[in-house]
Amino acid sequence: MGYMDKSLTYIHEAILKGEVTPLELVKEALLLAKEDTNNAFEYICEKEALDAVIKLDASKKNNLLYGIPVVIKDNFSTKDIPTTGSSNILNGYVPVFSSEVVTRLEKEGAIIIAKSTMDELAMGGSGTTGHLGVTYNPWDKDKKHQVGGSSCGSAAAVSAGIVPFALGSDTGDSVRKPASFAALVGLKPTWGRISRFGLFPFATSLDHVAYFTRNVYDSAYILNILAGRDDKDASSSFNKVEDYTANLSNSIKGKKIAVIKGIIDSISDKEVVKSFNVSLSYLKAQGAEVDVVDIDVKLLKAIYPTYIIISCAEATSNNANLDGIKFGNRIEGESFEEVMVKTRTNGFSPLIKRRFVIGSFSLLKENQDELFVRAQKCRRLIVNAFNRVFEKYDAIYCPAAPSIAPLVKGSSNNLSDEYLIADNYMAFANMGGYPSITLPLGFENNMPFGGNLTAKPFQESLLLNIAQAIENGTGLKDLVAKRN
Amino acid sequence: MKEVNKEVLVTSANKLMFDMSDEEYNNLLAEFDVIISQMNLIGDIEGVDEAIPMTFPFDVTNTYLREDVATPPMDRNEALRNAKDVVDGQIRLPRVVK
Repeated sequence: MGYMDKSLTYIHEAILKGEVTPLELVKEALLLAKEDTNNAFEYICEKEALDAVIKLDASKKNNLLYGIPVVIKDNFSTKDIPTTGSSNILNGYVPVFSSEVVTRLEKEGAIIIAKSTMDELAMGGSGTTGHLGVTYNPWDKDKKHQVGGSSCGSAAAVSAGIVPFALGSDTGDSVRKPASFAALVGLKPTWGRISRFGLFPFATSLDHVAYFTRNVYDSAYILNILAGRDDKDASSSFNKVEDYTANLSNSIKGKKIAVIKGIIDSISDKEVVKSFNVSLSYLKAQGAEVDVVDIDVKLLKAIYPTYIIISCAEATSNNANLDGIKFGNRIEGESFEEVMVKTRTNGFSPLIKRRFVIGSFSLLKENQDELFVRAQKCRRLIVNAFNRVFEKYDAIYCPAAPSIAPLVKGSSNNLSDEYLIADNYMAFANMGGYPSITLPLGFENNMPFGGNLTAKPFQESLLLNIAQAIENGTGLKDLVAKRN
Repeated sequence: MKEVNKEVLVTSANKLMFDMSDEEYNNLLAEFDVIISQMNLIGDIEGVDEAIPMTFPFDVTNTYLREDVATPPMDRNEALRNAKDVVDGQIRLPRVVK
């Protein structure tokens, strides 16, 4: 019998009952990882995982993560384990320290079995741009559909039943969008709730640690472990950490949910809207008050360009240290400048270079006020608009994406309302630092799609409580794609 | 805003210490048509230029001094482990004065 397609709670109880040992779990996960056909992994940590499981402290076996195999996105530093950010410029790089979240997981007894593929340096949303190529959606045996990105490998690993939990990062929607495409629960907590120490920075004002599970309870439990102040991250919050599992089964009677009209109106897929409306009926049946609320469509359409300018501009400075001198895949030259130029020219893919040029262009002296600073001003107006909604409502709820996962070779009209709004609106939660969770809503042509729920900063308990109510209504949890 | 042409894009790339092929520059020039149209959506927002730029999601005020506790620093060889060319505990670069 296999365990990796089960929930954390189920696997934990099996360990406590003596039905399975951590070593057996790790061997099962490693075998599944090696059989993976979706290009989910940068590096499978076979030796490291087998060494770690033997050293487990049995006195900690009551911890939910004790002996549980997990996967880590390849932009989290992992001591003595290669970490590339799926970029050739970091080929061969082996961190000398671990990120705070990895340290916390290991202290709880989790065993890292692999580092997962991603869009290069997390700067993409398709799961197709990492240096190892396309990561496929486990729900599509024909391998035509994306799984989404940038946390593509982590999403593929959890939805394929290789591990029950994987770490990702979310700067625009990089966990919450793939969660929608892979029938997973993807949580991005409040900005500052989880330490980012050791996470490769992409856009510091928008970056969040986030993660995938297959049900809301597991998501809440993981937050109990990862949340909390860390002196090594100046942006990490001193706010009190709650028991995020405690209020999951509370009544949601009287909770006020806002559905944003402009987002729903921009979706053309009737099946997505229909399933979303059915989920609203579950919320209403449990006593929640649901209203359709207006936000200026011009503001909604400005979310994506605002995100692109700010993230690309911040990325140029955050990645300035990738020069091959102190670490990374150095290419020799006649001068130190030539070393840097050759290393960066050869190490970054064309897509990343284009993103950097967009950032650099918006930061040119002549353009800065009209592009970068204006984007920062627009961010303020966008966040103000959503804050006004939160003055009257406990949460905002909408489809996480306008459709099932796009085709790998598909194309989209990048100026359409559907692309600008429904496909990219979730970045508002990064701009405002709001906690935000995606969870499964339904299937179309056997491919999943999800809904997204967002709450006020540090209201994770309430967010998870409402998410649990939706999950109870849909019954869509612990979903695993059939292995090909 | 500066006119978008190949020369400007080369300048933008070179400021970031990398270069691109002619094909990559041409692809990016074509992409900029869409990018500029998207950026113009921001300019269409009423009152945008009067808003205060937002640099972080929300204000965080940390008024504390950390305890002055000495901790062991990382070993030098360990810190240099990922540098490709190390001599006598220092990273070697091409000669500056030829």
